[in-house]
Amino acid sequence: MNESCYGCSTCASADKPLEGFIAKLPMETSHHRVESQETKCGFGLQGVCCRLCANGPCRITPESPRGICGATADVMVTRNLLRAVAAGSGCYIHVVENTALNLKNTALEKGKLKGLGALERLCKTFGVSGKDDHEKALNVANAVLEDLYKPEYVKMDLVEKMAYPPRFKVWKELGILPGGAKSEVFKGVVKCSTNLNSDPVNMLIDCLRLGISTGIYGLTLTNLLNDVLLGEPEIRMAPVGLRVIDPDYINIMITGHQHTMFVHLQERLIAPDVVAKAKAVGAKGFKLVGCTCVGQDLQLRGAHYTEIFNGHAGNNYTSEAILATGAIDAVLSEFNCTLPGIETVCDTLSIKQICIDDVAKKANAELKQFVFAERGKHSEEIIDAIIASYKERRPKVKLNLLPEHGYENNLTGVSEVSLKKFLGGNWKPLVDLIVSGDIKGVAGVVGCSSLVAGGHDVLTVALVKELIARDIIVLTAGCSSGGIENCGLMVPEAAELAGPKLKAVCKKLGIPPVLNFGPCLAIGRLEIVATELAETIGIDIPQLPLVLSAAQWLEEQALADGCFGLALGLPLHLGLPPFITGSKVATQVLTEDMKSLTGGQVIINADAKESADLLEKIIQEKRRALKI
Amino acid sequence: MKRIIIDQEKCDGCKNCTVACMQAHRATPGTVYDLDLLDPKNEARHTIVANGKGGYFPIFCRHCSVPDCVGACMSGALCKDPVSGHVQYDESRCGTCFMCVMSCPYGNVKPDKVTHKRILKCDFCKDDTEGPNCVRVCPKKAIHVEEVSA
Ligand code: SF4
Ligand code: SF4
Ligand code: SF4
Ligand code: SF4
Ligand code: SF4
Repeated sequence: MNESCYGCSTCASADKPLEGFIAKLPMETSHHRVESQETKCGFGLQGVCCRLCANGPCRITPESPRGICGATADVMVTRNLLRAVAAGSGCYIHVVENTALNLKNTALEKGKLKGLGALERLCKTFGVSGKDDHEKALNVANAVLEDLYKPEYVKMDLVEKMAYPPRFKVWKELGILPGGAKSEVFKGVVKCSTNLNSDPVNMLIDCLRLGISTGIYGLTLTNLLNDVLLGEPEIRMAPVGLRVIDPDYINIMITGHQHTMFVHLQERLIAPDVVAKAKAVGAKGFKLVGCTCVGQDLQLRGAHYTEIFNGHAGNNYTSEAILATGAIDAVLSEFNCTLPGIETVCDTLSIKQICIDDVAKKANAELKQFVFAERGKHSEEIIDAIIASYKERRPKVKLNLLPEHGYENNLTGVSEVSLKKFLGGNWKPLVDLIVSGDIKGVAGVVGCSSLVAGGHDVLTVALVKELIARDIIVLTAGCSSGGIENCGLMVPEAAELAGPKLKAVCKKLGIPPVLNFGPCLAIGRLEIVATELAETIGIDIPQLPLVLSAAQWLEEQALADGCFGLALGLPLHLGLPPFITGSKVATQVLTEDMKSLTGGQVIINADAKESADLLEKIIQEKRRALKI
Repeated sequence: MKRIIIDQEKCDGCKNCTVACMQAHRATPGTVYDLDLLDPKNEARHTIVANGKGGYFPIFCRHCSVPDCVGACMSGALCKDPVSGHVQYDESRCGTCFMCVMSCPYGNVKPDKVTHKRILKCDFCKDDTEGPNCVRVCPKKAIHVEEVSA
């Protein structure tokens, strides 16, 4: 297809058509750079390289078992881990802060609230009310913001209201109830700075505390606040993959995690006057093309956006391929995972980059910092800039579409609410299937996609196939979802790949064996499902036959999520270790001792079959303990 | 014979070679993630020394044409392999006199710090069909294997 491919030594992808497409591209992508970055530093992999001061970098070898300051391998590892978890938590707290602010501002302006059911549930949980929906929304948003801004020495109020009581009790006993979420991040970065804390266990405990504030606020509450503003997920079928790109439209690829920032623009893009502008330059109108987690979130709530949203094209490491089709006219980004590598692709294809939150400012992007009061003006400026880009670039750019890529009928819109509704209004049918063994257990396959652990989505997809073949139902959230759906595991026909019992269940219900909860933020939704299942059965969360896997975890945010999973007492599988194995203490605490602290444990394995064996064994043990 | 050739200008002291050598000679198999970096049994067979001017001397066994270590070894534990030309060590014959440690002009023989009974020296990764592990991982190409006359 392309006479001049950039270089065919791209990494493997579980998505074979995508792999072939990328290998033939005339420009460099992340997939091309995996090979040249193949030599990894062993000290870095084990987390025992420290450059916290001018004496460094110090590394651990038999001849140099301590850094110059005296830091041991345990100190180096746990300091690095705490730093990563604090940064990851900061990212999610930034997202929930902006989400709550947008809800607050919308409420003050008496703007549109699309999810009144979610608002009622939040009011009930928080114990707040108001004379009308806007006052209720204002009070809900304020309750979240007040907690986020508390100092570290004042505990947040909503934790007890949100948490499952048996878990809250464990957290209180362990002394890991978080103070103000932003202050916890601050404390975390102070603690792991040069020549401060050198107690590895103390720092690991802080990771758990950050896990709780990340999980309850950054994950769970972000979803629920989004539900109020953007509308709740509804189960339906949707297309995924590069097929969703329609070149007849002016296409905007969106990347990030902060969907509430797009609300105004999104509505303008379908307004008759704006559509007329698009038509004037030869397009049929505008379409948003989903990429990364914000795309997952739009897909999840797609029932509310059928006109503007054309579908989810792919995850973080599909973004360069989406752009390389040539049919994307602008990238609108507001958070990660907006890869730096898209800049060169955008340059090559004259794609306009606009960033609306400077935390994710790309070098080539024009910054239009989102300010609620100015969103009207900004939306018009953004629309004009994108139209100008379309007009300028389309005549000269050759399209390289892949219309057969992906799948047409993927089940989406799954949430803790919509799934329960689907099951008849309560969790009993699912509990019954678990008790009878028709569903052996539940695995949350969450988090990112990476280009290691076999390649793009390779371990994730292989693990999911292994799990469903063992009658373990898979619930997904994050970029992993984007990979799994592009590999065809979320169409009802994927039931054929499941074990006999799960297959029968899927066929009866007309569902795939993998249920997509959407963005990584929706890990919070999975955790509500876990809580409600535990509640229905009358047990604590660690007793559930439920495991988590962030098989291809990529970034610091995933580590903060993982700490929430551990605080909840869940077994957490990772394909590659999070730079901890240089420390015997960290490895021991995370993989073993955690079981007696919270009930959680980290399992590290990069082989799909072995990992599935380990997870299945845990599920079987939990089933035996429950005598089912 | 094959020899490791060093281009010291290129070395940036990353010690990737060191980790690779430890990994190649560890007692129990495993991944680089679970290699015990603190265990003296895993010590690398070479050394990377700072030259004091911001650069490094990578010091690797030369498997010398006339090896002083072999010459010093009374018990015959060190021998120049007639086929490969590499200087190999037979622990069962070693008398622990450490004469080899004293006589290598480059400091390439290390006494084993755990048992104090044997020595550690480069075996040219003889058990590995792909050749020296250190060379394979050097990101700077500061070391490479070359065919030279014995
Ligand atoms: S903090 Fe200690 S271990 Fe880290 S670079 Fe400085 S001296 Fe080395
Ligand atoms: S140990 Fe020293 S003397 Fe012996 S072969 Fe190696 S470099 Fe030469
Ligand atoms: S220490 Fe062993 S190998 Fe070295 S010279 Fe003595 S006997 Fe030979
Ligand atoms: S050739 Fe093998 S034994 Fe010799 S220094 Fe390199 S890695 Fe170590
Ligand atoms: S791997 Fe290469 S660059 Fe790094 S220390 Fe060894 S010889 Fe030097």
